[in-house]
Amino acid sequence: MTTDSPADSATEAQVAAAIVRCAAGDRAALRVIYDIEAGRMVGVARRMLRRQDLAEEAVQDAFMRLWRSARTFDPAKGAARSWLYTILRNCALTVLRDENRFTADEGIAEEVAPMTENALARLPETSALRRCLERLDPPRRSVVVLAYVHGLSHGELAGKLGVPLGTVKSWVRRSLISLQECMG
Amino acid sequence: MTITPDDKALAGEYVLGVLEGEAKAAVERRVASDADFAREVESWRSRFVAFDDTTEAQAAGDALWRNIESGVSDTTTREPASPSLWSRFWNNLPALRAAALGTSFATLLLAVGLSFALRAAYQQPVMIAVLVDGNRTGAVVQTFADGRVVLLPLTEINVPAGRAIEVWTLPSRERGPVSVGLMNQARTLTLSLKDLPAPKPDQLFELTLEPATGSPTGRPTGPILFKGNTALAL
Repeated sequence: MTTDSPADSATEAQVAAAIVRCAAGDRAALRVIYDIEAGRMVGVARRMLRRQDLAEEAVQDAFMRLWRSARTFDPAKGAARSWLYTILRNCALTVLRDENRFTADEGIAEEVAPMTENALARLPETSALRRCLERLDPPRRSVVVLAYVHGLSHGELAGKLGVPLGTVKSWVRRSLISLQECMG
Repeated sequence: MTITPDDKALAGEYVLGVLEGEAKAAVERRVASDADFAREVESWRSRFVAFDDTTEAQAAGDALWRNIESGVSDTTTREPASPSLWSRFWNNLPALRAAALGTSFATLLLAVGLSFALRAAYQQPVMIAVLVDGNRTGAVVQTFADGRVVLLPLTEINVPAGRAIEVWTLPSRERGPVSVGLMNQARTLTLSLKDLPAPKPDQLFELTLEPATGSPTGRPTGPILFKGNTALAL
């Protein structure tokens, strides 16, 4: 499995060990994870939710779920940090997709192209993800980047790019197929 | 099951977060049952996690940590729940030890076995109720030997603004439903059954949608989200 995450393997090992300790009920281990990851977790949630209070709520919820489900973490099945960020993204998406709390006018005002480029530019030059995304046509690149980084739904992508929903769905799908072939 | 290019794209859509409703639920079921498909999902996660790694960190202050810490204290269900009982047992250990020394090694083994049994008794639920809506499992209620009753949600529950999830139980038909908890979102909750008799097998628990401050009548008024009856845990 290829990964071009810049987080070093020592951090990965620390987080994995701390999750295992959480599974045994060790609260100090939860603090270890907080110290290592919470700042970046708030950053990730904030890119999706755009508000500090909502971002913190998602991170809090993610730590609760981490604590509850630490026993389900299986190092053989996947990396610890990707497990952690999956939980966080699910928590953030739950807040984001809750129509009663998030109205359309709170939506993103920024333009598609600079938003996409900003996220891409943060990836290392050597990143396979960056290289493969840059091979896609700009709008097809944007749908993938905006969905992952800013949590946009199919419908929001269609609105933002001004194309029909069916077109967005097929762009996302084809972009993923190209990405998978490119990244292996 | 073989993985087609369509499956790979589907796994990617799931990780991107663009699947909703039944499509998302179907993928989650497949992840749980199909190891090859689960590996595809994991591959996508490792491809995209670079975006998370390169996100600029934001302030995560002590207030956030305090919230997490207090939330975790509320939900610590696996620790031996009552240290006093545990320590009382430890205080008895010299007696056990003396007995073991005085009689035979077998007694010591018995004491060790007993300590494990006692410990397990306080960590494992005595009764479990699985709360469902049709074929969808929403939460479990676990009752423990020391009297704690804990609700663990197993799914997201959409709570509209100004509403809350209220937890009810039916200790007896005569008494009718009694509110034992209220929360504004699905989370682990220790239920307050202190004023009620200990839950019995086949006792009903249910979740309903109510106004944010709880049912105004003291009885369930909103739609039932999930319900189920207690059964003895094996």
